[in-house]
Parts: sequence; C-alpha cells; structure tokens
Amino acid sequence: MTLLPRVDEYACCGHGDCAAIAPGVFRVDEIAVVTGSGPDDVVLEAARACPAMAIEVVDADTGEPVDV
Amino acid sequence: MGTRADHARVPSSVLIIGGGLAAQRAVETLRARDHHGPIRVVCGEQEPPYDRPPLSKELSARPLRPPDWYAERDVELLLGSRAARLEVGARRVRLEDGEALAYDELIVATGARARRLPTFAGRPNVHVLRTLADARRLRAALAPGVRLAIVGAGFVGQEVAATARGLGADVCLIEAADVPLAHVLGPRLGGWFADLHRGEGVSVELGAAVAEALPAVAGAPVSELVLTDGRRVAADVVLVAVGVAPETRWLAGSPLADGISVDAGARTAIPHVYAAGDVVRGCEHWEPAARLGSAAARSILGLPATPPLPESFWSDQYGVRIQLVGEAAGADAVELDGAGRDFTALLHRRGALIGVLLVGRPRELPHWRRQLARPYEERSAA
Repeated sequence: MTLLPRVDEYACCGHGDCAAIAPGVFRVDEIAVVTGSGPDDVVLEAARACPAMAIEVVDADTGEPVDV
Repeated sequence: MGTRADHARVPSSVLIIGGGLAAQRAVETLRARDHHGPIRVVCGEQEPPYDRPPLSKELSARPLRPPDWYAERDVELLLGSRAARLEVGARRVRLEDGEALAYDELIVATGARARRLPTFAGRPNVHVLRTLADARRLRAALAPGVRLAIVGAGFVGQEVAATARGLGADVCLIEAADVPLAHVLGPRLGGWFADLHRGEGVSVELGAAVAEALPAVAGAPVSELVLTDGRRVAADVVLVAVGVAPETRWLAGSPLADGISVDAGARTAIPHVYAAGDVVRGCEHWEPAARLGSAAARSILGLPATPPLPESFWSDQYGVRIQLVGEAAGADAVELDGAGRDFTALLHRRGALIGVLLVGRPRELPHWRRQLARPYEERSAA
C-alpha cells in the first residue's frame, strides 16, 4: 500500500512536527506543504505527530482515508 | 485498519452545543469519516466558528472555515442561539427561546466565559476578552496615548499588553502575584516575562490586586484604580483578564452541572453525551480542544481514540514566539540555553525533563515534543 498525506490548510498551524519527522515529505513555512512522498510508516508517524491533527492520509490505490 | 464500510451504521443525529474550535473539529471528523446523519451546531455568538487565539494576539479573529463550508456539507449552524437546559432522560436540549432539539449523540462544547470582578460591575469602560465582539469593542477603545490598565498578567493579559503597545497605547499590567505566571512557570521564568514587558515600555505592577475603582460612582467610567497596597493607576480603559470559568450554567440540574470530566474518547459520565474544549476540566488551550473535539466524533463513529501527544501551546508577544511543551508547574530545576529573546528553558523535576519553554526558537518544538513523548523514566538526565 502507498500512503499519501494531505495537509488541511485551515487546520495547520505551522508547528513543524511533520517536517521534522519526514523532511522529504513536508516543508513548513507559514503552514506545511507536501513536497514529496515517503515510506508509509514515516507518513503515518508524521500524521500522528501533528498537534493540530491537520494531516490526512489516504491510500493511493483506493483514495480511501486511512485511520491514523 | 479502518475503512468507510467498517463504520457504516444507521446515521444518528449529532447535536453540538457551542460553536468554537472543539465543535468545528468534531464536525470535520464526522463528515470526513462519512457520518451521513444530521449535524446541528448551536453557536451562542452570531459568528460561525472562528479561531480564538488571534483575539488577544491581534484583537481580531479568523473563521475556521469559509462561509459556504457548512452548507456544502449539510451542517446546520444555529447562530446566536443558546442552550438553556439539558434533558438527559428525553435526550434533548432546550434552547433559551424554548425550542427543543432532540439528539442521538450530544457534544457539549460551550467553552468558557471570562471571569469578571465585582469591583467593576456596571462600569462602561471596563472590558473582558473572550469573544470576537469583545475584541472589536476593545480594539475600538484603543488608540495612541490611550491609557490601558490590564488586570491580570496571564497569557491573555500579556498578549493584549503587547498588542496594545503596538497600537501606541500606554499600558499598565497589574498582577496580584509577585511574579507573572509564577504558578505556571516558576519565579525565574515568570520574571523574564515581567522584564519583557518593561523593556517594551509597559508599566508592570506586581504583588497587588485592585481594591477600588474611582470615581466611586455607580455606572461612571473608571478613571483610576487603587491597588491593595495604595498604589494608584490612572486609566482610560480597563481590561479584566483574570481567567475563565467553564460555561456550564445551562447544565444546572443535570449530572454535569458541577464540572465535566471526560475520558480519552471525550465521553462524559452520561451515555451519548460527549464534551470537548474549554468546558472540560483540564482542557484549556488550543491543541487539547482540537483533539478532544475530534475524539468526540471518533467515539460517536465507533473509532478508537488517538494516542495522546505531549501538548504545547504558544504565545506571541512583540514579535517573539513563545512556546511551552509538556508541563512546567512542579519543576524543581530550570536549565537555560541562550538569553534575551532567544533561549530554551528545560524544566526538570527530580532529574527528569517534564517540559520545555522556547523563546524565539519555533523550530526546536518538534524535537522537544518527541523527547517528551518518551517514557518518563527514559527522560532522566535528558
């Protein structure tokens, strides 16, 4: 399975936890943006670490949201 | 791993009392997880849900979602509507206008109200700051040279002091404790905050409460405050920033009247009743409100609670980002790296790291959150 993250721009506060965990996947200026992809476990860890719960993760094959 | 089909069920109706961040996050999680039942949000203010931190940081607010967002997702907002009574047996909420709203699942998210001081009852130029309407009133009263007295040097009082200085007001911060935030951060770090404001031209009066408001004429604007030790502070505008009380008055007569505690899934002691945000004991601050709002929705949908994270919160003053992650109260040792408006303070208790205060170092936050997520025993000598 390949997991894709999506940042909810309204919910993101720019804490930067995601980019610290997955620097190849997220970049944080004012808010976080997705800049690439990464291993599923890293994407999930970054999503779980978001204090604003602003990262959604979807299964790239089905488009279904994945429970983080 | 959950999928949409796993959680399919007869759609229940969700009623949310309160229209702040916790309510918003509950709605978002419900709709994102394919809850198709009716959602009603009873917002006490005339505004759709908005983000509260800018109230003190900018004396303004931003909507949490664009105006069309709610209709597009079939979410009904009842603006300017307040709950008057919870009828647990009948599973309904009675509104102040008499209307009764039935629910299958109820989320209590009525937040908190600003505490007021009896000394200032009925005085027209005395403000509190909790709502967007409060912020607009206060903003309209401030201008260059206006003398603003702020009673209470907690984070809200301090942030308004900084904002008002930026608007050219002449600011005095009055705090009953000998050091601002001493109960949260201890005397050493609290003292740093007093120095920060003094360095920006704020007069900081510590160790005294307000004894009297002059002139002693009912209904007249306050022009001078007399402190308990006799000090006097002249003022054109007064802000009372002495904390908040959970908004549970409408729950009188219900089992939740004396305060609300919840589990990690935002469940109260009453079946089908959840609670999130400032109305819940120990849930003040932005992050826990957001997370608990989402947790309430997850519980309604039968999803497990997400694991807890070390919580952080932030304050912006004079362009400096100040962040606290973990806890600070109860620290018995503080280790400083840096100085001025650029430092990290590591807070220890019995040799273990319990919290970190960051001043001007926002990029360090994720590192310290991860350190604090480790088990307590492993953080010794961190």
